[in-house]
Amino acid sequence: MNEVELRTARAMTGPDSLPGGGACIGLALVGSGGDGVALIGDLMMQMAARQGLFGMMVQAYGPQIRGGESAAILRLSETETVYEGDHADILVCFRTSDLARFRGTVRLHERSTIVLDQADPGRLPDWLGRDIAEVLRFPFSRVVEGVEVPGEPRNMLAMGLVCRALGWSAEVAHAALSQRFGHRPTVLSQNLAAFDRAYATGALPELPVLTPRASGLTVESGNEACARGAMAAGLRFFAGYPITPSSEVMETLIEELPERGGRVIQAEDEIAALGMVVGASFGGVPSMTATSGPGLSLMTEMLGLASMAELPVVVIDAQRAGPATGMPSRTEQRDLFHAIYGGHGDFPRVVLAAFDVVHARDLMHRAFAISEEHQLPVIVLTDAYIAQRRQIRTTPDDLPPPRRRRVWGEGDTMLRFALNHEHGATPFRVPGTPGGTYLAAGIEHTPQGSPTSDGTMHQRMSEKRFEKLETIALETSACFRMLGVPDAPRLLVGWGSTFGVLREFVAQHPEFRAFLPEVIHPFPRESFEEWRAGTHGGAVVELSYQGQLHQHMSSVCDMTRWTRACRSGGLPLSVAELAVMLEVSPC
Amino acid sequence: MLKAKDYRTELQPVWCARCGDFGVLKGLTSALVDLQVPPDQLAVISGIGCSSRLPGYMNAYSCNSIHGRALPIATGLKVARPELTVVVVGGDGDGFSIGLGHLPHAIRRDVNLTYVVLDNGLYGLTKGQASPTTGSELKKALGLAGQNERPLNPPFLVLASGCGFVARAHAGNLPQLREVLKQAISYPGFAFVQVMAACATYQPQSYAEELYQRCGVVPDTHDATDLSQALSLAMDTDRFSLGILYRRAMGEAAGGAPFERPGAETAAAD
Repeated sequence: MNEVELRTARAMTGPDSLPGGGACIGLALVGSGGDGVALIGDLMMQMAARQGLFGMMVQAYGPQIRGGESAAILRLSETETVYEGDHADILVCFRTSDLARFRGTVRLHERSTIVLDQADPGRLPDWLGRDIAEVLRFPFSRVVEGVEVPGEPRNMLAMGLVCRALGWSAEVAHAALSQRFGHRPTVLSQNLAAFDRAYATGALPELPVLTPRASGLTVESGNEACARGAMAAGLRFFAGYPITPSSEVMETLIEELPERGGRVIQAEDEIAALGMVVGASFGGVPSMTATSGPGLSLMTEMLGLASMAELPVVVIDAQRAGPATGMPSRTEQRDLFHAIYGGHGDFPRVVLAAFDVVHARDLMHRAFAISEEHQLPVIVLTDAYIAQRRQIRTTPDDLPPPRRRRVWGEGDTMLRFALNHEHGATPFRVPGTPGGTYLAAGIEHTPQGSPTSDGTMHQRMSEKRFEKLETIALETSACFRMLGVPDAPRLLVGWGSTFGVLREFVAQHPEFRAFLPEVIHPFPRESFEEWRAGTHGGAVVELSYQGQLHQHMSSVCDMTRWTRACRSGGLPLSVAELAVMLEVSPC
Repeated sequence: MLKAKDYRTELQPVWCARCGDFGVLKGLTSALVDLQVPPDQLAVISGIGCSSRLPGYMNAYSCNSIHGRALPIATGLKVARPELTVVVVGGDGDGFSIGLGHLPHAIRRDVNLTYVVLDNGLYGLTKGQASPTTGSELKKALGLAGQNERPLNPPFLVLASGCGFVARAHAGNLPQLREVLKQAISYPGFAFVQVMAACATYQPQSYAEELYQRCGVVPDTHDATDLSQALSLAMDTDRFSLGILYRRAMGEAAGGAPFERPGAETAAAD
């Protein structure tokens, strides 16, 4: 842990820049529950999108999911951004006692503006690396005879200061506030008044002006993107159980799936959630659940059933720091082993990983295509850093829905689980189809579907089911991303949300290039071998104590000369930290 | 006109001779004959156990899933495909031990399922361990675990959870079982049927005889729409009343069946 602190403290240089050009500005807002820090962030993201700016926002809170200290880190930019940045240019903090809990989350450079409450007697934490003498003070709270009394909404004061520093017109904020609070006129007028008063002070130094380069931008979270991507891919049944950080997938679907003719059930637990999904899929309906690590643990037996009975199901796992309860609101990439290998008796499943919010939506399309076509479970890994981030994106193009599972009809085999048939998958029998009755069973079965305990049949059925993975590996061999120039000498592999930081790291360190699989299992081995041909080693970058991707890759290719650039989650990786991990001199 | 054999596959049951599961299989196919449900519109879902082998013997869209999880699977199927007739079968270990957590939730959702539990008061498939409904005396007589643990009372439990249709039958009384199952399948919400039976292999013949003696049809005076009368019958653990203990009068369903609102599309339709 000390090492992590050390690395983040070293991040003190100048403001960030974006890969491929375009200016960006980082904001850090820190307060307690009730200060409305997240609201400022939300409103500013909406305003930025409306003005044609890109950006992303992550929230951080203490161990409790509701209440307590809270921070919002925003990055606003002229071009698309999928990383929060190494440094904030402005820090607004209502209480230094709250700031103390965001070591590593709040990172400043030597010219960042710091704004504290005039009445706050606290010190800046040492790890921030800045002197209290450089701080600007603003009267956020109203103090009468040494006692704090209710005053103007401090989040609106902060928003007024920041919007002015950004050079945004007050009208943009007025429109956003009216939209948000239009139904509560008293609150609206209070908020407008506070915003205008702070805006008029112009108390903060002006920031470089960001020039809009796009239009038609919207704000979406990773969880929303997964939910909407799934709907566009044909999802018609969802069952889930609340769990941080994936609950918004279910919440979005409760809101949006019924109007598309689908159904949502909030189940009594995760076992039931996947059970319901298995049942609906047995009924021929494209179905999905979403959870986080603890839920995936509970679903594991049911995943085996879906694989054994050849029922297509999609499971989203928004990973959080584990094991057990871990740190529910913090990110990590440690469910990879579970997703690939978890469960008794060894069964085929496919594991995909999302790079960011935009990719998450498109990835759902692939998840349903693979699951439906090959009749097996597909696990989509996101993590808290993608799931709960809000990202400004261009309006998504709805892809045409993928092919659904091939349905049994005239001329098809009478054997539901026929061997040697179309790479493992046999036409699916939808209940209600005359003459198609069969038994879908978790017990080993014959091609007809009758229970068996014949060892030879078990071997042949295992071959039939695992054959699907070989087909899928061929179909998905191009499902990966590359960063950097092709002849860069130093090699990196990353996956999932590390895409964001690697994209910026590689842009700043052109001696590096990176390979990021989108399909983690079956791993695109041949593409990887081609990419690294003639090289001797590299590093696998991941938020996993044991280096799970490194270990997984070692089982499919020679990784003896590759090292691990990994650590536990909690905090996302930063560019500066990666530079230390990879022993690169700062640029 | 569909006949009982139209609901059967060619597979021969693996059950022991005199097993109560034969009665459930026969009762179910007879009730389906009465209702003329087309086999391709029928789904029979189970978990794991002796009685959970039953879907394999039914000509239907069947699923023999994993231990204790039949109810969620059936719920998902019925909600996604409301036009199907969905019957869940299982045993007391599957339903009242490992799978009990799902039962009150299936009841409060009131999805139109028929849940038939063959309650023989032990685990037959794993060779005779005590289940949540094994009585203390039997546990003592057979030297089973949990001799001081009280058994569950399934009809009382489901009534207390708000189940709208609760019935009990005996696997050896086919006409009554057939009628109860017919009513249960016709009921438009979640229907629970406890089928009493002894295990032919792991319980003594004297136990089977005593169980049969303790069963009797519900009195003529019983008003099945009266929850307090139903609860009284369910609380009687000396004598097992057979028949419909409770059937909530239409219109009284708490909240109705939320997934089957008139005019709601099926999830399968694009």
